[in-house]
Amino acid sequence: MSDSHISPYSLNDLKNTTDDALGNYLRGLHFKQDNSKLDFRLAIGYTAVAIAAVTFVADYKLGWDATKNGTAVAVAAYAVLNGIFTYWMYFVEKGLIFEGSREGRKISLASRTKKHTPTYFLTVTSALDKSRELDCPFTTWFTEDGYFVAKPFQQWLASTVDVIGEADVKSAVKDETDSSQVPEVESNGTPSASGADARSKGTKRSKRKG
Amino acid sequence: MFSSIASLQPRQLAAQVLNFALVLSTAFMLWKGLSVFTNSSSPIVVVLSGSMEPAFERGDLLFLWNRGMDTQVGEIVVYNVRGKDIPIVHRVVRRFGGGSAPLQLLTKGDNNAADDTELYARGQDYLERSKDVVGSVVGYVPFVGYVTILLSEYPWLKTAMLGFMALTVVLQRE
Repeated sequence: MSDSHISPYSLNDLKNTTDDALGNYLRGLHFKQDNSKLDFRLAIGYTAVAIAAVTFVADYKLGWDATKNGTAVAVAAYAVLNGIFTYWMYFVEKGLIFEGSREGRKISLASRTKKHTPTYFLTVTSALDKSRELDCPFTTWFTEDGYFVAKPFQQWLASTVDVIGEADVKSAVKDETDSSQVPEVESNGTPSASGADARSKGTKRSKRKG
Repeated sequence: MFSSIASLQPRQLAAQVLNFALVLSTAFMLWKGLSVFTNSSSPIVVVLSGSMEPAFERGDLLFLWNRGMDTQVGEIVVYNVRGKDIPIVHRVVRRFGGGSAPLQLLTKGDNNAADDTELYARGQDYLERSKDVVGSVVGYVPFVGYVTILLSEYPWLKTAMLGFMALTVVLQRE
């Protein structure tokens, strides 16, 4: 993945690096990403910026009096577009980091973090299971120094999200043979991402590498 | 620091740039919105000289309202000298016209000895309320406007501020 490291104390950096890695991982598994929500947000946003730019140029060239009425209309339009933009960002996109499909199976992933808690909360909505929230401490795939390690992250994803497990069978299966590496998932038959298991395994791993 | 944006997908980079563009355009549109609301081309001005002391000092921030077209003697107005772009803040000392005839005003700075006849353009003896006046002062905040004076006297400050803002908004991913 990335050779650069981030500050392991910055929750923002941890979340963004993990989000980016997730996107790269899924695209690598030939998931076709659906960017329609982001595209809509970009379209609305850049239209609003364009309106502001036109207003600026018109005012610069023609002066205040001539452009008064046009400016009033532009301000109203800008306010409406900005409102739609904000609504879209907070209510429709709501933390969405990846949306796509593979071989007909759709998947939608949104992530969030809680202040002062070093845990990654991932909300999965897919063809195989209804919307549910998984969580896993960042220490599972970040070393003490802030280096991201892809394998445990991919294993967690593949073993807890069925659609990803289908696509990356190797990572999902590895749990059974290499019990020291990954949180115990298959033991009770239900996929779980209990924080406690992962945390103990996680710190062992990072101490080994550190 | 830059590696955080170097590894971005093109759409995500576009989203980061959009964030910065929206900061600028929202600030601009808020200003224009205030202009439309007050009907003034420049609803907030900074006092540049000491001609209105002790009422206003250099660096004071003034809030203007341009919808009161029946300006009275004693009101403080901001006007542009015809042909120049410098706004002047002075008090109205005489009115001509009003009612059916267009309103004309004579102004004088409180701290000046003479009225503004010398300041007006050649051949101009009075201000036209509808054309020359930017607005009348309805409120003020002392000293805050000094930032604007600094920005205009040291233009590199403007570029530096803008550059710093751009850097922080584009590199921040929150």
